[in-house]
Amino acid sequence: MKEREARELEAGDKWEVQLRKGCLELAILAALWEGKRYGLEILRRLESDSDLIVSEGTVYPLLSRLKALGLLRSEWVESEGGHPRKYYALTSAGKRRAAEMAGIWAQFSSSMSKLLAPLS
Amino acid sequence: MTVAGDAQQRIEAYLGRLRGRLRGANEAEVREIVEELRSHILDKAAASEEAHGEITSAGVDAALAALGSPEELASEYMTDTLLARAEVSRSPVQILRSLFRWASLSVAGFFVLLGSVLGYFFGVVFILVAVAKLFHPHTAGLWAFPSGAGDTEISFRLGFGSVPTGGRDLLGWWMVPIGWVAGGGLVMLTTYIAVWFVRQYRRSLALPRN
Repeated sequence: MKEREARELEAGDKWEVQLRKGCLELAILAALWEGKRYGLEILRRLESDSDLIVSEGTVYPLLSRLKALGLLRSEWVESEGGHPRKYYALTSAGKRRAAEMAGIWAQFSSSMSKLLAPLS
Repeated sequence: MTVAGDAQQRIEAYLGRLRGRLRGANEAEVREIVEELRSHILDKAAASEEAHGEITSAGVDAALAALGSPEELASEYMTDTLLARAEVSRSPVQILRSLFRWASLSVAGFFVLLGSVLGYFFGVVFILVAVAKLFHPHTAGLWAFPSGAGDTEISFRLGFGSVPTGGRDLLGWWMVPIGWVAGGGLVMLTTYIAVWFVRQYRRSLALPRN
């Protein structure tokens, strides 16, 4: 009995991990909607404003990829601590993509709500 | 803020391992990645030692643990960025580099790489012969020779050396326009197909894997 419960729990965790990964791109674009931020700021915003526990080892390469795709631009700004920080901001393509993804998200989540209504 | 000597050493050791694994990206990009992560580690360590104003190795260790192993981090960077760049760029060199990376990760990638190398190779051969025709009008081109047992051998010749007896220039001056069109067309087609495959692979990465 215990083993089956453990397996079910594991399968549920995997689904959740994949779900979080799929949302991460949209979450990052959304975190930059209101202005430029640097990596650690984005991480803190994601952790505080949402329940997304993000692995830093995934966020930085993802920021790099989004920049390579032209959705983000970056600039280096000197900080009080002496070391420069890399700030990211949405490009116009990034803003369009963010709005597009947000629309898809809203649609998706309302469809799921209908489906899940009997479960609650 | 000051950084304890030991802590600085740990940071540099970590970043050194990361840098060693970041191959395939150009120097400027590697430098940016390393600088960004150094900045992150320092900020994160400083935040955890607020009262002291000094970054200790304990703070650094925590920050490094949260980042994961430098090998895994480098792997994430390589896959994401190289593949994204292949989609955006149209340069065959860029595409081949991304395909090499993909080929090292999967069998499908290997075959796409093989096909692309062949496509580019023949495209270049066509163009080379078209150019050679202008320098060696009588010996370069697409030639047919009788070979030994009554068979005919067809080959591209760049025109160095003399033509063996009995050979026939199949295209004559048409080699020039045909070579450019076929060669250029083959290079563009190979690029188009390679980028299409890379796009499919990136999409498959985004889907949940069982």
